[in-house]
Amino acid sequence: MSGCPGSRTIDFSEKTDQEGSETGKRPSQLRQWPIQMHLVSPQAPYFQGKDILLAADCTAFSLGDFHKDYLKGKSIAIACPKLDSDQEVYTEKIKALIDDAKINTLTVMIMQVPCCFGLAQIAKEGAEKASRKIPVKQVVVGLEGNILSEEWI
Amino acid sequence: MENVLNKEIKKIIDDCPEVGRILDEYGIGCVPCSVGTCLLKDVVGIHNLDPEREATLMYRIEKAIYPDRQVAKPVIDTTKKSAPKKITYSPPVKKLVDEHVLIKRLLALVPTIVDYIESSMKVDKDLVLRCVDFIRTYADKYHHMKEEDILFKYVDEKAEIIQVMYKDHDTGRGYIREVVEGAEKGNKAQIKQNMLAYQELLTQHIKKEDEILYPWIDRQLSTTQVGEMFRRCNEADASVGEELPKKYEKLITDLEEKFLQEVVK
Repeated sequence: MSGCPGSRTIDFSEKTDQEGSETGKRPSQLRQWPIQMHLVSPQAPYFQGKDILLAADCTAFSLGDFHKDYLKGKSIAIACPKLDSDQEVYTEKIKALIDDAKINTLTVMIMQVPCCFGLAQIAKEGAEKASRKIPVKQVVVGLEGNILSEEWI
Repeated sequence: MENVLNKEIKKIIDDCPEVGRILDEYGIGCVPCSVGTCLLKDVVGIHNLDPEREATLMYRIEKAIYPDRQVAKPVIDTTKKSAPKKITYSPPVKKLVDEHVLIKRLLALVPTIVDYIESSMKVDKDLVLRCVDFIRTYADKYHHMKEEDILFKYVDEKAEIIQVMYKDHDTGRGYIREVVEGAEKGNKAQIKQNMLAYQELLTQHIKKEDEILYPWIDRQLSTTQVGEMFRRCNEADASVGEELPKKYEKLITDLEEKFLQEVVK
């Protein structure tokens, strides 16, 4: 195996050790629109004083219980640190979310691939530039949808 | 076993000292606790052992209390090695852990300071009162008040472990009142006895908080509560001003310079 771990082809369609229940409907926990980092405004009412989830695009598709376990009760912004352009805007938006929207906490959820750690770096830079200080948490999701780590940074 | 789980740990250890030795092997240091009113189930639960270790611990305790009872030995998969748990703290709790470092620096100086007082012709009242000022203002007002007014409010304050912490704070305040009285009277023995008692109490108290209580509280906090507690602790710090911790860090540095040199001499 070689090449970029972020775009390497891996097939785990044969995975059989699946636990959990598929019964019942699962309501969406999304409480806002838009969600893409370039489209959201730190002035939006759904950010004021809230707990924010900054999620890498792929995380929601990887994590089976993304809505229930991580999105519930939070406002969200999504981004891809590998493919998105003008990412310096992201740093400024995070600073504005902390200083102007006075968000309570920031949880950065990324995939385990190295390029995804760029999003955590952007979050750290935004938090360092802000004059207010808030707790920032990093959650790393494995390629098969498992949580690899969850820690305050 | 159910009634034993709901029994106070001190009574269990008094009836069967072997239980104290077993707990000690698992890093659960209840034997020297002066209160001992925590229930066995809470003592074990709060340490967050991995399930296999907890099952073995409970088996051994049951066999120690009831040697004749037939108890199924838990099956342990010895091929599975669990990595030692690294303690991580949320940011507001980490700040409290960091404040312990300065307090521990004073505690480390206490034996040297009391030796110096004992060997001096006259009690150095100013020195004693500087230490008391650090303890009352930094350790108690600045640090313990954040625990009592903010941190402990996020859990059941009636829980035995929290009651033990409150009792430790009160006992410590009592020792310090005695130290002040000793300094006023020039009574070296009174100062020494109570300074050393305070050192012993706070050393154990901080260890319990860093290793057991704080991680236990952290496990119960939601992300929202972490953010809220962080803000409230920052507001409490801002209300006393940023000069206060700097002032007391300098006091400890000055004492270290004086007394670590005494040790070298």
